[in-house]
Amino acid sequence: MSSNSALERTINKVLSQKETELVSQIDSAFQESLKNLESSRSRLEGERTKIIESARKQAENLKRQIVGSSRLAARNKELVTIETDVNRAFEEARERLANSGKDSSYQALMSKIVEESIPQVASDEVVIECNKNDADLVKKIVADLSKKNARLRASVSDRPITAIGGIRVKSADGTMSFDNTLDSRIERLKPLIRKNIARMLRGEEGEE
Amino acid sequence: MPETTSGIEYTKVAEIKGPLMVIDGITKASFDELVEIETSEGERRLGKVLEVGFGKAVVQVFEGTTGLTITGTKAKFLGKTMEMPVSQELLGRVFDGLGRPNDGLPDPIADKFLDVNGEPMNPERREYPTSFIQTGVSVIDGMLTLVRGQKLPIFSGSGMPHNILAAQIARQASVVGTKEDFAVVFAAIGVQYSEAQYFKRSLEESGALRRSVLFLNLADDPAIERIITPRVALTVAEYLAYDLGMHVLAILTDMTNYAEALREISAAREEVPGRKGYPGYLYTDLANNYERAGRIKGKNGSVTQVPILSMPADDITHPIPDLTGYITEGQIVLGRDLFRKGVYPPVNVLMSLSRLMKDGVGEGKTRADHAEVGNQMYDLYSRAQEVRALAEIVGRAGLTGTDLKYLDAGDMFENHFLKQAPDENRNLEETLSRAWEVLSTLPEGELTKIKEKHIKAYYKGSK
Repeated sequence: MSSNSALERTINKVLSQKETELVSQIDSAFQESLKNLESSRSRLEGERTKIIESARKQAENLKRQIVGSSRLAARNKELVTIETDVNRAFEEARERLANSGKDSSYQALMSKIVEESIPQVASDEVVIECNKNDADLVKKIVADLSKKNARLRASVSDRPITAIGGIRVKSADGTMSFDNTLDSRIERLKPLIRKNIARMLRGEEGEE
Repeated sequence: MPETTSGIEYTKVAEIKGPLMVIDGITKASFDELVEIETSEGERRLGKVLEVGFGKAVVQVFEGTTGLTITGTKAKFLGKTMEMPVSQELLGRVFDGLGRPNDGLPDPIADKFLDVNGEPMNPERREYPTSFIQTGVSVIDGMLTLVRGQKLPIFSGSGMPHNILAAQIARQASVVGTKEDFAVVFAAIGVQYSEAQYFKRSLEESGALRRSVLFLNLADDPAIERIITPRVALTVAEYLAYDLGMHVLAILTDMTNYAEALREISAAREEVPGRKGYPGYLYTDLANNYERAGRIKGKNGSVTQVPILSMPADDITHPIPDLTGYITEGQIVLGRDLFRKGVYPPVNVLMSLSRLMKDGVGEGKTRADHAEVGNQMYDLYSRAQEVRALAEIVGRAGLTGTDLKYLDAGDMFENHFLKQAPDENRNLEETLSRAWEVLSTLPEGELTKIKEKHIKAYYKGSK
């Protein structure tokens, strides 16, 4: 009986020790789990902040990109529209110039053009080219000029050129020429005129 | 400004030699005058007068002389130097190397026509650059600080990520404490299509394209055009800066290709060659471009230049980097070793320098400890490199405790401070805090270049 009770006590003692051990193990495991949970939570929190931050950055970038490219596309569309209108204005101006009556002011202009063009080729023997309609006028101007300058040997070419008005002067040997047609003058001044037309189209004041 | 009476056309071509054309029977021509060349097929090219005299003019044809014949070629002298039409509308546009639209849009409507050679800046009116630019790249902000109006080139080598770095600077550059953004003028000089596209895409993705102007002379474009590309780009940069008051970052890549084009013309003109065949005036010519950076008293804007040049065979003594270094205010040198180790940006700090850093950092500008931290970081990395060399011979076991700390600090310098992602934008606080983390791995006694009060405030290591 006594040996049984001793065994029982021993068993109880072992059980109690094991119980304490297990409880302490469970307790420490619980504590560890809590710690892990806490660190995981803070890590998770960090990761979450990082993800949100990176998403926010991405969204900002995307927004910047979309807004930027949309503004640019709108501006480019405006440029194309303005250019179309500017070209239309040029076409119309050319048409009007070509169809305008050749009045006295045009004759004065042609006279000035011939006078300023001949010295440009630095030769006394020159050939002048002009359109079919201006041939007679140019011949008259050249004849007047030849009277004033005896050394000048200027002839008007029989082959007409395609131009709204003005002339093209060539040296007799053909090595040098000067284009002073209205078309080329418009072309040279085009950048300035374009600016003025664009300003008007935008509702701003045009420059003189 | 266009004139009504200009454009005498000559048809007597005496000689065509390389990129040059000699025209005979000239009565009126000026140095640098723009010439419009019409081939016998009616194709138009541009050129400029290099020499004039004895009834002859030597014309440099930008698009090259391939396909030009002595008979049938016409040269019209336009009576003006090359001009670039400028206006605010240039922002967001893409042009070719000669400043002609390359984006399918019409010619820009000009506010002004500016000579591409620029006007020399009155030295008395120059303002000393002192405003810090935050690039978001730690090694630049911390140790090679860029300031507004500075010209700081990147010396690189073939295959290295100089364009990635330049694009990162262009995207991230900002002036701390203001909302001002940089306008970017990018000139691609003889670069590959992919490089130009990378730059364009990078600006597009960051939304910065609408404040950028791109000039693209690609590798397959005529070499002689490269002479003009940096000039048109800098003309636009000057207009944006001094007329419109913008802060402009001008990136010119690759200036080596520019110098090659200069050498080609010089050889065709049979000039006496200088070092490696480059003309004797290479220095003057480079200075003409590089000096078009800075600030002007009384004007709001600034032109900050970041020219990029690839050093042939990584040779820093080559005439192009050598002469560039004399003109610019420092240099950022990319190192092949770091590149091979996978460090981006592979800036070899010991070879690099920003001469204007001292005037752009410190109390009231950045942070009181900035300059000293920069100096100490130089010292740290220099000692680390020495110790690395020593360790190669004697092994780690033969090093002293302090040497070992320098060895580890050197690694940390490369991996924690220098290395960063191409899309990582670090502010100055973060840069300096990373620098202090690296410095804190050394014993406090080693920090001989930093004032006590800063050590007390920022040092985190052991005594």
